[in-house]
Amino acid sequence: MRFLKPAPKLALIAAFLIPATGMSAYAAAKHPAYKLRHDNFELMGRAMKGTFDQFKRPAPNLAVIRANANVLASAATKVKGHFPPGTGPGAGIKTDALPAIWQRPAEFNAAADRLVNATKGLQAAAAGGDMAAIQKAAGAVGASCKSCHDSFRKGRS
Amino acid sequence: MSGGAGEGRDVGSLVPAGEPVALWDWPVRLVHWSFAIGIGLLWWSAENHRMDLHITVGLIMLGLLVFRVLWGLVGSSTARFAQFVKGPAAVRAYVAGLRGGQPGPFVGHNPLGALSVIALLGVLVLQVGLGVFAQDHDAINSGPLNFLVSYDLAKQISEIHEALFNVILALTALHIAAILYYRIVKRDGLIGPMVSGRRTFTDAVPAPRIAPLWLALVCAAIAAVLALWVSWGLPPFATPFPWDAPAAAAPADYM
Repeated sequence: MRFLKPAPKLALIAAFLIPATGMSAYAAAKHPAYKLRHDNFELMGRAMKGTFDQFKRPAPNLAVIRANANVLASAATKVKGHFPPGTGPGAGIKTDALPAIWQRPAEFNAAADRLVNATKGLQAAAAGGDMAAIQKAAGAVGASCKSCHDSFRKGRS
Repeated sequence: MSGGAGEGRDVGSLVPAGEPVALWDWPVRLVHWSFAIGIGLLWWSAENHRMDLHITVGLIMLGLLVFRVLWGLVGSSTARFAQFVKGPAAVRAYVAGLRGGQPGPFVGHNPLGALSVIALLGVLVLQVGLGVFAQDHDAINSGPLNFLVSYDLAKQISEIHEALFNVILALTALHIAAILYYRIVKRDGLIGPMVSGRRTFTDAVPAPRIAPLWLALVCAAIAAVLALWVSWGLPPFATPFPWDAPAAAAPADYM
């Protein structure tokens, strides 16, 4: 970096850091309803990864799969209640939730119910212990997640 | 390897001025244009949530990169890193010559262009290296080695993977700008030779040494095996991982 004198170098570093701190301050100021559902979905994401990671291993750990299936089944029941009126986009909340959730509540609730059923199915399969059945049931949970994201969540890349 | 003009000459023999020189062998050209298409497809599939396609193309890119690195060690003379990567003094001399008029001739990458090759290959290697551990926002679709890292680490890797694409875009823009500069200012078309493999020089230049076909096939086979190996989740397909204790008390930390 011979061609950069110290001062411009510092300015360059600052130019990268200032937006970063601004963004984290923005992220901290989130609506409680947003945080509630966000954390619940993240919990489910972790449990999904925890489950699928086991499938990749030569000796899947059934206890880990069961624990994750329990987490998924309990978190799934909360989804329906996590989108009260007034917590959509436009209410000053930074969210990827689409207005469709509030515009077509029956459809959204049906999708949330399908997730509950799918996670119950995984829980039952995990309790049974047959790996092929567990993988099939976990695939159904993944498909349920995806179909709801496709309809009710803003596309992210 | 058949065909190239200038081939059949003895290695290092001079090609007279104005006669076509076999400059880029077909593996170099094929890999180059595959990178161009691959980067486009990877960008499109990421933007449109086609993660299945994204992961497949990413693994093809992994194979192409392994091939290109091997080819840079053992391939044709114009493909070899040792032949075109030069020190800062050579780069400065080249830039000074560029201002003065016509530096060179360079049969292959010039010292400045060599930096671009290294930067682009380097950032692509880094990007694919991150991608195999990455996961999408739902942790549903993930790279083939994602299961080896924790959710939080994979999330950070994925964020870097996403941000690094901007660096790839910037380097690609610079790459295209440089091609336009040579075309417009230096009246030197670089795209044609990257398609046909041949170009002429205003001086007599030594003919590049073109590596044989079998060597390219060996490198391609190694690259393909490596990419497949990664796509299957790496090493011991049938043996337990070291951290998988046989009598399993549930470690809750995988969640």
